Amino acid sequence: MAVITISRHFGSAGELVARLVAEKTGYLLINKAKIADRMRSIGILEPELSFFDEKNISPADQAAGWELESRRRRYLEGLHEYFYDLAIRENLVIVGRGAQFLFHDFPPALHVKIFASMQSRIERVCRLYNLDEAAAARLILEQDRDREAYLRQVFGYDWLDPTFYHLLINTGVTGPEEAAGLIVTAARLKEEAGEITAQELEQRFWEQEKAETPLDLRGEGNRQSGTAPDFAHPSEAEFARMLDFYRIKWLYEPKTFPLEWDSEGTVTEAFTPDFYLPEQDLYLELTTQKQQLVWKKNKKIRRLKEIYPEVQVKIIYGRDFRGLLKKYGIEEKGE
Amino acid sequence: MEILLTREQIKARVKELGEKISADYSGKGDLVLVAVLRGSVYFAVDLSRCLEIPFVLDFIGISSYAGAASSRGIVRITKDLESSIVQRHVLLLEDIVDTGLTLNYLMQNLRTRNPASLRVCAFLDMPARRIVNIPLDYCGFSLPDFYVVGYGLDHQERYRNLEVVAALKEMP
Repeated sequence: MAVITISRHFGSAGELVARLVAEKTGYLLINKAKIADRMRSIGILEPELSFFDEKNISPADQAAGWELESRRRRYLEGLHEYFYDLAIRENLVIVGRGAQFLFHDFPPALHVKIFASMQSRIERVCRLYNLDEAAAARLILEQDRDREAYLRQVFGYDWLDPTFYHLLINTGVTGPEEAAGLIVTAARLKEEAGEITAQELEQRFWEQEKAETPLDLRGEGNRQSGTAPDFAHPSEAEFARMLDFYRIKWLYEPKTFPLEWDSEGTVTEAFTPDFYLPEQDLYLELTTQKQQLVWKKNKKIRRLKEIYPEVQVKIIYGRDFRGLLKKYGIEEKGE
Repeated sequence: MEILLTREQIKARVKELGEKISADYSGKGDLVLVAVLRGSVYFAVDLSRCLEIPFVLDFIGISSYAGAASSRGIVRITKDLESSIVQRHVLLLEDIVDTGLTLNYLMQNLRTRNPASLRVCAFLDMPARRIVNIPLDYCGFSLPDFYVVGYGLDHQERYRNLEVVAALKEMP
């Protein structure tokens, strides 16, 4: 689908131009209000919304600790996932939020920078917000500084770098209507140049996300290909691939549960389930042993449930797993 | 092959489901039935005939896991919806829910499109195979862990058109 990203300097009428473009093209406008609706639907509320929206985290804020960074990461993941998911099925006009970087390698995207001279921006801000010139200038500088710092912090790029844009439009000389017309024409020309299917887009984003996301920023334990642990058995590797395929986050053997202790308090028996699925809060034990040989494992799981009743654990027997593989038409690998 | 559900049993149960769904969605506005290709087509057709409320029928298809040899490493949509589901009530129709992996992905995907509500109606539930637990709002039949075919369910594209549900005793 088509994506038009509009990066704008504060006071340059970027929002207005974006709205006009959305009206002319019928594309879905993703602006501050729309993003706020989405964020609220996934439980990110005010004041957090305003705190993170196009704002960098200052050194003083960073000193507040990991909790802030974690919340902000959740916000950004939610925001970027929202853009990607929508772009698979809708034509979009996205205002700000680094969309020009997110969709940089997406061929159908059109990236636009809206700017204007300081004087014309001051005049517009004075008019809109009923401010005097000095206050308007301060507000413009402050807002631009925030946006620039946010984009540099999140994406590591300079928003003034012209190589990220197809069009740079000076609304100080063109006016919003004319600017919108230029963008619509450019979008139409791009669309005529070629289309990409939804499937290709989804695949591309997913692969890009996997390749670009640093390990420490990935989901709590989603081990993707290339970082797979040393599995004890080929069936575990196959199962992990299956989970990856269906985008289920997992951890391999993340926790050992003590089950028996001697009189000194030393653990004499323990159990380490093969997988943990954090989104389901579920431990899984995969066994390829024949059904009649799994009694010992069953006994351990019964014991685990007695001692840790809050822990959800499920055993996938060899018969079940072989059935699963056959369902997908896969021949079982060697034991 | 052993018959587990006869044509009469299926017909009666699908009619019951249709009545229940009609009552639940009565007066709520547009309902979008999203049938998951290809297995749920037979179920979707029969169920939709039993509905007494207005609805839109749409289809969605996703790729299946194909093992390490698969060229594509993640699930993807092979046929997307043609209707927008934003702020509309959606009922996802599945032929069978076993591991819950497919359903989990579909639910996550559809939820991002901001439907007014999203529920699941599965013709068959096989809870013994469940990995990801997702509550089923409507369910035709719950079965033990058999490899079943018929009424849309296939084995290597065979048996879909059976009017009964049968267990394959030996995997061919």
